[in-house]
Amino acid sequence: MSEFTREGLEPLSTIGNDTPRIDAIERVTGQAKYTRDWKLPGMLYAKVLRSPHPHARIVSIDTSAAEALPGVQTVITYENAQVVWGAGSVNGGRQYNDPTKDATIHRRYIFNNPVRFVGDSIAAVAATDRHIAEEALGLIEVEYEQLPFVLEPEEALEEGAPQVYAEGNLCPDFRGEFAPMVSNIGDVEAGFEEADQIFEERYETGFIHNAQMEPRCSLAHWQGDKLVLYTPSQGISNCRHDTARDLGLEDHQVQIIAKYMGGGFGNKNQNQDADLIAATLSRRAGVPVMLEYSRREDWLGVHGRWPTVQYYKVGVKDDGEVTAMQMRAYSGMGPYRKNSGGISGMDAYGCENRYREIHPVYTNRTTSGNFRAPSDPHGHYGVENMMDEVAYQLDMDPVEFTLKNMRRPSEQQQFTNYSLEEVINDGAQRFNWQTRRKVTPGSDEGPIKRGAGFSFMMFRAGVGTSSAIVRVNANEEYTLYVGVTDIGPGAKTTMGMIAAEALRVPLSQVEVVWGDTDRCPYSVGESGSRTTIMTGIAVVEAAEDLKGQIADRGMPTGSDVLIASATPTPTTDGMTRQCFGAHFVEVEVDTRIGSTKILKYTTVHESGRIINPSTARDQIRGATIQGIGQALYEDLLYDPQTGQPLTPGYYRARHLTHKDIPDIDVHFIEVDDGYGPFGAKTAGESGIILAPAAVANAVANAIGKRMTSLPITRDKILGAMA
Amino acid sequence: MKALTNVNASSFNEAAAAAQAARQQGQAVAFSGGGTDLLQQIKDGTDPADVVINLRSVADGRAIGADGAGIAIGGLVTLTELAEDPLVLSGLSAIAEAAGSVGTPQIRNVGTLAGNITQRPWCWYYRNGFNCFKAGGNECFSVNGENGQHAIYGGGPSYIVHPSDVAPALVAFDAVFQVTGPNGDREVSAEDFFVLPITNPERENSLAENELLTGVRIPNVSSNTVSTYHKIMDREAWTHAEVGVAAVIQRDGNEVQNAKIVLAGVAPIPWRIQAIEDFLAGEQISEAVAREAGEIGIQDAQPLSNNAHKLPMISSAIERAILNLAAG
Repeated sequence: MSEFTREGLEPLSTIGNDTPRIDAIERVTGQAKYTRDWKLPGMLYAKVLRSPHPHARIVSIDTSAAEALPGVQTVITYENAQVVWGAGSVNGGRQYNDPTKDATIHRRYIFNNPVRFVGDSIAAVAATDRHIAEEALGLIEVEYEQLPFVLEPEEALEEGAPQVYAEGNLCPDFRGEFAPMVSNIGDVEAGFEEADQIFEERYETGFIHNAQMEPRCSLAHWQGDKLVLYTPSQGISNCRHDTARDLGLEDHQVQIIAKYMGGGFGNKNQNQDADLIAATLSRRAGVPVMLEYSRREDWLGVHGRWPTVQYYKVGVKDDGEVTAMQMRAYSGMGPYRKNSGGISGMDAYGCENRYREIHPVYTNRTTSGNFRAPSDPHGHYGVENMMDEVAYQLDMDPVEFTLKNMRRPSEQQQFTNYSLEEVINDGAQRFNWQTRRKVTPGSDEGPIKRGAGFSFMMFRAGVGTSSAIVRVNANEEYTLYVGVTDIGPGAKTTMGMIAAEALRVPLSQVEVVWGDTDRCPYSVGESGSRTTIMTGIAVVEAAEDLKGQIADRGMPTGSDVLIASATPTPTTDGMTRQCFGAHFVEVEVDTRIGSTKILKYTTVHESGRIINPSTARDQIRGATIQGIGQALYEDLLYDPQTGQPLTPGYYRARHLTHKDIPDIDVHFIEVDDGYGPFGAKTAGESGIILAPAAVANAVANAIGKRMTSLPITRDKILGAMA
Repeated sequence: MKALTNVNASSFNEAAAAAQAARQQGQAVAFSGGGTDLLQQIKDGTDPADVVINLRSVADGRAIGADGAGIAIGGLVTLTELAEDPLVLSGLSAIAEAAGSVGTPQIRNVGTLAGNITQRPWCWYYRNGFNCFKAGGNECFSVNGENGQHAIYGGGPSYIVHPSDVAPALVAFDAVFQVTGPNGDREVSAEDFFVLPITNPERENSLAENELLTGVRIPNVSSNTVSTYHKIMDREAWTHAEVGVAAVIQRDGNEVQNAKIVLAGVAPIPWRIQAIEDFLAGEQISEAVAREAGEIGIQDAQPLSNNAHKLPMISSAIERAILNLAAG
């Protein structure tokens, strides 16, 4: 079920009503043109040759037999196509920062030598069809000198570990210094002195692939000195800028077209090596080139969530007041620093003494990068299991413990509004927390044990700059130009609804133009849960401007049009703006066979005012499903002897099927803090943050043993119960 | 995907002859029933087929029927047909349940009985292109590697587990397999059809080159026979058995006269545990008896470094399968 509580909110005309996606018919009838559906005259098909070794130096490469194969037009390798992929590795993982990219120490090229993981790309072929291209790959002769490899981040920092780079395996920060990411608030040692009890534990989380339906693909088409790139991108404006910089072009020389795409969950944020490889092949061949990754290539060649090891130390008084929190952690980044390696969660606590030290580490696994709430689900799992354990050790209800210790507004840190206590209390009541949780964990008699767990979060809902253009003609037909794509949350529809509301016209009177950098203004991109707020504010401002023009000059007549554009720079007046959430889960663990079944799942979120209830609800559900997958199922297993990945793909990584998915109750408490467009906040990422923590806490409550490693597979449960 | 030749066979004999002809020209051959797995293996490069002999064009082998001696099931019967057939449902529940538990509805609608029985192992080393015994090499990488899903019975030198759900049920019903080859037809008992890696580490069954499985025959079962298939999976669909138990019992009231217990997912072949069968004969089915049977089921297990968690799963699965067959 789902429910929306809107006490005190003025009802609106379009916003707040369940609205079908404006492109739903095209999608479900097969008319929608995804990147791989495009066919251009004379187009070639490309395939990429990838390293079969986790770490090796290429001694020689011979492409002559491949080039001689009938149908092969162009072959490029690390020797003759050295294009830096700026977003592929950047100091500190700072993805949208040009100066940092320029100063990056360990650069990633579209083709690399040495190769540093199974799947690292070394060459590509463009041919008249994809089968010839694939056959040609088999004709490229490569001689490798295999090098020692390392898979685990902690091992990688040990003395004598194989070195991914000469400077060592600790990734450089944004300054180019080889130092961990440290955040030191208050005096953690003084806090431990103050504590009555100190608890310590090690937690571990696995690599989770984004696993979006559509593998990465790219179609490059040069028109003179201009590159037209059809590519599924979560942010066409950033993709254009990245691609232009990497190819030595001006932004206006690149056009990105992403009309329809099959998801991304964070691994289609920036440009991808596929874009640069297709563009390079196309430029040399003089015709358009389509490059598609197979599922396996997408799994190993793009990126997923970084695996982590987290050591916690928490000091607490006997009355449950937390006096100090410390974390030392390791994030496995693979051999390239694509993104931060962050581990969040401690900031949700008000404790004044907090020390956090994260080591992003190079390994010879596949690359890690952004996945929906990049720093959060694994961090919240560690922190919330640590704190849940502390609460039970103190004989406290974890909800009570949270309400006592969670971060609250203070003079130094004010919030635009604060709903954390409300979502927790509302969730506890709806879920019947007091009845479902075991005061003594593991106390059910018999082999089948039930238990309940909870977790909470606040997540950024900041404002920022984006742009929109809106136009009206004499027929009172409005056209909205926004540089959004749609990775799933329904950005096109949301933007149309915001415009319709602001213009006070029905949605049917607003046509939305999206997904094309030559037709749409800058948009921040569907990453960081920013589009609804930031591009939404620009839409409101452009609509207000247009309404002002209409008021002044009347509706246009004949072939005249009125146009308004906006690129606002909104602020939150120095306050923190957050969305809030709490998840409550009941599980049943069969301790004879180690299986975990979810019996009840209740979510309560405050994401400001909800624009489109149906898509908002599905965002929370979909994200929660991914979080459950991280908690119980998914991992990318490597063979320790050979460094080869063993479980890429949907079958092996064990994603939940429809039959595995429980009912997930979604409740939104709606508010308008006066900052987002009509009060909207973030929803897209927030739903994934809480499931790993809540599910693991519920398992611990059921069986009376803390599960310190994700995913919680049956071998771990049976091992704990043995 | 590599270029290959497709041959539409019109009969099993023609298929065997075509295979022989292609092999004589040095080509690698694969028979394709539903092709659900074969196609992916060819794409992945783990099956080297140059010639695919398509059996969808064969008219025979699609029927399920009873004669005086038992029930005959064509090799090209789909898993969905098998799971839904009234004859199978009424007398051979374990087979219907096993067929209905395979993969997904899409796979069951296309995948065939013979294909399910003869599918290659799903070991992650073999499927990821390691040059292991199953790929013609001289090593089993699971021994010193990730062996959480590998064999705890009958292993060595290869430690794959046989992936079929239906095969253990057929063994439990004393099925006879019908095989066609270039030199004619032959029959072999289900139990003898499968071979351990100690005999042949590269293959899972006794089919000779160019031979194919065309059908199975199940001898008449007595009216006091009950059966079930209990499967533990890592998720609710689209995966193989972590542990499967096919149990066929003849009972008088609640007393076991005769039992056949065959496991899936724990050994390189469907793994029969005669010690349980001997124990159960003459016992009244009860929770205590079922529990003891489960314990007997792991007495001779030889787990590898990382798959001992299968032991309690096996005991539990055996226990539940037997309790499912209690009278009343």
